Formats: sequence, structure tokens, C-alpha cells
Amino acid sequence: MKGYCIMSIVEIKNLNKTYPSFRLKDVSFSIKEGEITGFVGRNGSGKTTTIKSMLNLVHPDSGEITYFGKSFIENETEIKQMLGYSTGTIAWYPRKRLKDVVEVVKRFYDTWDESAYLKYLEMFGLDPSKTARELSEGMKVKCNLLIALSHKAKVLILDEPTSGLDPFSRDELLGLFKRLKKEGVAIFFSTHIISDLEKCADNIVYITNGEIAASLSNEAFFNTYSKDGESLEDCILRLERGEFNA
Amino acid sequence: MRNILMKEIKLSASCLSFFFILFGLMFFIPGYPIHCGSFFVTLGIFKSYENARETNDILFSALLPIAKKDVVRGKFLFACFIEGCGMLLMAAAVLVRMTILVDSEVYRTNFMMNANGFALGVAIVIFGLFNLVFISGFFKTAYRSLPFLFYIIVCFAVICAAEAVHHVPGLEFFNAFGTDHAAIQITLLLAGILLYLILTLVSYYISRRRFEKIDL
Repeated sequence: MKGYCIMSIVEIKNLNKTYPSFRLKDVSFSIKEGEITGFVGRNGSGKTTTIKSMLNLVHPDSGEITYFGKSFIENETEIKQMLGYSTGTIAWYPRKRLKDVVEVVKRFYDTWDESAYLKYLEMFGLDPSKTARELSEGMKVKCNLLIALSHKAKVLILDEPTSGLDPFSRDELLGLFKRLKKEGVAIFFSTHIISDLEKCADNIVYITNGEIAASLSNEAFFNTYSKDGESLEDCILRLERGEFNA
Repeated sequence: MRNILMKEIKLSASCLSFFFILFGLMFFIPGYPIHCGSFFVTLGIFKSYENARETNDILFSALLPIAKKDVVRGKFLFACFIEGCGMLLMAAAVLVRMTILVDSEVYRTNFMMNANGFALGVAIVIFGLFNLVFISGFFKTAYRSLPFLFYIIVCFAVICAAEAVHHVPGLEFFNAFGTDHAAIQITLLLAGILLYLILTLVSYYISRRRFEKIDL
């Protein structure tokens, strides 16, 4: 059997950030090419701070963030060309039509692919004449994905993309993640809905109280922490209570 | 640079920013502090900053494939663009008042300051003060409007001083008509432009430094 190694394209090393009432402590993990990584933790555990640090929106006190082996801070413009993002349910320019936003945004990307844009526009069932305030939460996430995929992002960083979605839209979105994964896109998404991880994640990064408690493949996570007959959700709930012994 | 300015104009700007440029025509109003027009031009720009806050523009821009400091550059480019349009309109009004309307009775008997090179110089200094006081103050947090209040105080202090100066004995030349005291008028205008450039550049570097430190 031939051995192969999937390349880590995002490396987070020893990220620290202190707020008056919260501290992110030595957060380290990696994201691999063509894999889906779920980032799980309860509300206030540090998921959004970590993601914002990964997008240079928050300044970590220390630590290193590299994409494709390059420092993010030193190669910000170049790396952002290859990143796609969705920051929860925030709507950009609520009164602007999607096509007007796209018309401006596409000028910033060297790799913008108009045919890909039209393909995903149809696939997502988005109407370019609609404004953000006319869209549902799921559609807003799809708008962000539309832009990311139209400039051929190699890494998608998504902050709670499934929160606020109905079960049908969630299922549809997770199905889309699986399709994108086959195209080689690395997806990193935070969630507090554990069933999302069971459905599509290859890897699980579990954060609690600002610390990474586990960063493993889905299977290894289950083998390491789960008790017999225990579901992933039960397992993570137990870990959250501080009961680490399987 | 062009892309970020287009983003400001097409997505972030309030339509009031463009509409309020027309207040530059207040330079034609006799018996009225004409620099209220300069203030209204900056009020229009301020509305775009408010709009940016309400539409999550700063966060959106910071996520675009540009350096974080370029978000600040975009905001300055837009402010300078609107200020430039306002200046062009005011300069046109000054030219008309200095030539065609130079002997107009209504302007000759005007108690308030005349529209001349000095007035244009003051207008551009007001724009520079807006850039320094408001914009650099805004970028302390990238959402607070309070610096605009400080700017209003500074702006109206400058307007009052500019309106009063030609009433001081010996300083009547500040209120020159037509081509009278042309050398002094041009010098005052150039000094205003120089001061604007200094204020704007200082503000730009302060804003950039402040914005880099902000957690969005």
C-alpha cells in the first residue's frame, strides 16, 4: 500500500490573546488540503477569537499563523487572494444588491472566474438583484461562499456557517462542503452543533476555555475520547463537563 | 488604489456625501458665513463614515485581499475626493465673484467675509482639520462618531476667526475684492493648501497606526 501525506496548508502555532475576562491559551492546530475541519466548542470558548486571529482581524499577543508555508502577517495581500470567509450572520451592505457588491469585489481578485460565479450563482439559487436584507441567514452564508468560490479560494474559513439555519439548509450546506472538499478546497468551520461534525468533518479541533483540548481526525477523536456506544455529541458534552477519561 | 476608491464610492458612501458637495455654492451667499458650506461638505463625508459603520464596511474591507492599512487609505481617498469636488465648486464661485460679480453692490456692502483666495485657503484648512480631528479620531475605534463633535467645535472656531479677521484694523486686505492684493491672496491660498496637505498626511499616519492596533 502506498503511503501519502496530506499537506497542511494552514498552521496555527501557540496563539495567545488576553482580554480582561478571557484568555486564548497556546492555541495550535493545522488545516489540511482537501479536508473538512470542524472547530467545536461552547459559546465563549474562543472559536471566534481564533477565527478572527486567523483572518488578521484580531491581533494575537503571540503566536504564528502561516498559510501555504508563508507568514500571514508578512504576506497578507497574497494570502487573502486564496482565502474565502464567512463571518456568521453578519450582512454586508444590507441595502446593496448582490450584483453591485460582486461587481466591486471581483476587481480585487486576480483569480476571479466569471464562469464559476455564474455556475455557483445558479447552484445556490441566488438572485443577484436581491439585497442582503432580503436574504435569509442561509442565503447570506451562500453569498459569502459564492464570492469565495468565484475567486477559487483554496481555504474557506467559516465562523458558525450553520447557526441559524433550518435543518434542510444545514444539510444542503454540509453537502456542499463535501463537494468542495472533493475539489481540493480546505474547509475550516466553527460550530456548536455537534451533529454537523458527525456528518462531514474529517478532523475535529475541540476548544474549551480558550485552550485546544483535542485536535485529531474524526476517527481518532472518537477512538480516544468516546465510551462504548456513546455518540460524538454525548462524548463532547461529557468532555465539556471535565470528564476526560473514556 | 482605484479599486478601493471605487469600493468606497459604490458600496460605502452615503448619497448625502455627493449631495452636500453642492453646499460649496454657499460661497455665493452674501451676508452669510460662507464657510458653513465647507462644514456641510465635511458633514456629507461624515454621513458616509456613519454609513460604513452601519453596513459593516470596515470589517468587509479588512477581509478583502488588501493590507489592513489600505482600508484607511480608501477612507482618506474618498474624503479627499469629496473635499476636492467641494473645493472645485468653491473655486468656481470665487472666480465668478472675483470677475463677473466683482462690482456687485450686494457683495461690496457685504459685512461678512468675501469669497477670495483667503476664503478658499480657509475652506481647505477646514477640510484638513476634518481629516485630522474627525478621521484620525474615528480610527481610534473604527466606529465612534464622537470625534465629529470635537471637529464641529474646532470648525466653528476657525469660521468665526476667519469671519472676524478682516474687521481688525490693518488686516482689511484679507477681504480683498477682485485682483486687489493678488499676491497676498494667492499666498494665503497656497499656505492653506500646504497646511491641508500637512494636516491630512499627519492624520493619515495617525489613523493607519491606530487602525492597525484595533481588534475588529
